[in-house]
Amino acid sequence: MPDILASLTLLGFGPTGWGLQLLRATAMTLAVSMAAYVVGMAFGALGAWAKLAGRAPARLLAEAYTTVLRGIPDLLVIYLFYFGGSQVLTALGHAFGGEGFFGLNGFTVGMLAVGTVSGAYQTEVLRAGFLAVPKGEIEAARMAGMGRLLMLRRIIFPRVLRFALPGMGNVWQQVLKESTLISVTGLVELMRQIHIGAGSTHDAFAFYVCGFALYLALTTLSGVVFRAWEGWSLRGEPRVAGRMAA
Amino acid sequence: MIRLPRLLALAAIAVAPLALAAQASAKDWKTITIATEGAFMPYNGHDASGKLVGFEIDLAADLCARMKVTCNVVAQDWDGIIPGLNAGKFDAIMAAMSITPKRMDVINFSRPYTQSPSTFAVMKDGPLANLPVSRLSLDDEAATEAAVKVLTPLLKGKVIGVQVSTIQADLLAKYFKGAIEVRTYKTTEEHDLDLQAGRVDAVIGSTSYFVSTLAKPGGDKVKLAGPLFTGGLLGKGAGVGLRKADTDLQAMFTTAISAALADGTIKKLSLQWFKTDISPAN
Repeated sequence: MPDILASLTLLGFGPTGWGLQLLRATAMTLAVSMAAYVVGMAFGALGAWAKLAGRAPARLLAEAYTTVLRGIPDLLVIYLFYFGGSQVLTALGHAFGGEGFFGLNGFTVGMLAVGTVSGAYQTEVLRAGFLAVPKGEIEAARMAGMGRLLMLRRIIFPRVLRFALPGMGNVWQQVLKESTLISVTGLVELMRQIHIGAGSTHDAFAFYVCGFALYLALTTLSGVVFRAWEGWSLRGEPRVAGRMAA
Repeated sequence: MIRLPRLLALAAIAVAPLALAAQASAKDWKTITIATEGAFMPYNGHDASGKLVGFEIDLAADLCARMKVTCNVVAQDWDGIIPGLNAGKFDAIMAAMSITPKRMDVINFSRPYTQSPSTFAVMKDGPLANLPVSRLSLDDEAATEAAVKVLTPLLKGKVIGVQVSTIQADLLAKYFKGAIEVRTYKTTEEHDLDLQAGRVDAVIGSTSYFVSTLAKPGGDKVKLAGPLFTGGLLGKGAGVGLRKADTDLQAMFTTAISAALADGTIKKLSLQWFKTDISPAN
């Protein structure tokens, strides 16, 4: 058995402890996941709009987007963006008289790649959320004389959110876990830091357990936040038994 | 925006030769970016403050001083290290990378700066604890054949762990295919854990790496056994990985390594980090 006390020192905040590095990496995981989530949200909103209200070409494009991106592994998307992207940029840079290497950093690539994939899932979540809103509510808003923007702000946005939030919470958890794949770009997020720590100290077990705990803390905390948000989105709903259980 | 990934894929394929061609132009080397893995002590790793440390970090500093260039050493995941070099993200790789014919199809190498034999690590109380120990050059075909004949019945049906895409994995595939069950791992850490857990009967790796296996918690129950393999498909040792086009940089590194071997710098660093001399034979 590995010496527990030695492992605690290793993961602590002393001069030989990796605590600060691990916390920094956890913050990086959170930052890149949040950025990816925002990108995914934008793509998702666009995709859902295209599927629900777009013309045929937009609808087809959105259909292709969700089919392709949900059907290929995320790791492949990251490789494509990271290596493919830098080759394109370098070629473009040289075409315009530049020299050397042009490329996106690991954070940007990770944000775009994971964001693009999560956007495909988000499209479906938001589309289903919209379809769950009773038609009568939208008709009532129109009857009351609301303009498009006002209706979007007062009726559609809060109502879609109320139905889509559980799904959106799932997409967030997925983004958080898929952010581990960004480690292949060399970005020092939590997964890469665990690998570095394990390979540098040869106490792999301590770092794996620590990573386990940190990821679990992140996902548990996110669960709490999303449940609170869900509760808030349900304000004003009739309190049917079980509905406000959260 | 939505079509971006597919567009990118097509564009990447279309301009890939252009991007590579653009780098072929000779350039005056003043600064060099060197990639290392940063997670393979004692070759290369990080300390608790996040600084790169290890044998190759010290060696890189020494070689760069000899070449009179400014070097910037960056950590890069092992999986993307060769594509990253060819994409131009950095100019050289110093990451305990063995010089092999397969890798030489895609990149070039300087002359080797270390050569460490490969061997098995087993549990002291395990079924393979008494594998015969000897030195074996795979360049000597008769000796290799005789050794394989002796080892095959001993290893028959045993589970051997090895890191994926390594020269040791090639060795198992070439000489012991069919006789043993090979289990591949993404990292050496993982096969060490499985050796101690009893899930594999032995692991095969470089002796320079096993120095750290024996030193870590639980390592006192592990021992090295079997032949010390060198040569043949194990290659000539580890060298600096470079783009095919940069032959000038290759010559610079080779000259600097020769000088560092001649004045004993590599031996000194090797003793400091590995407790044993793993300078290449000549």
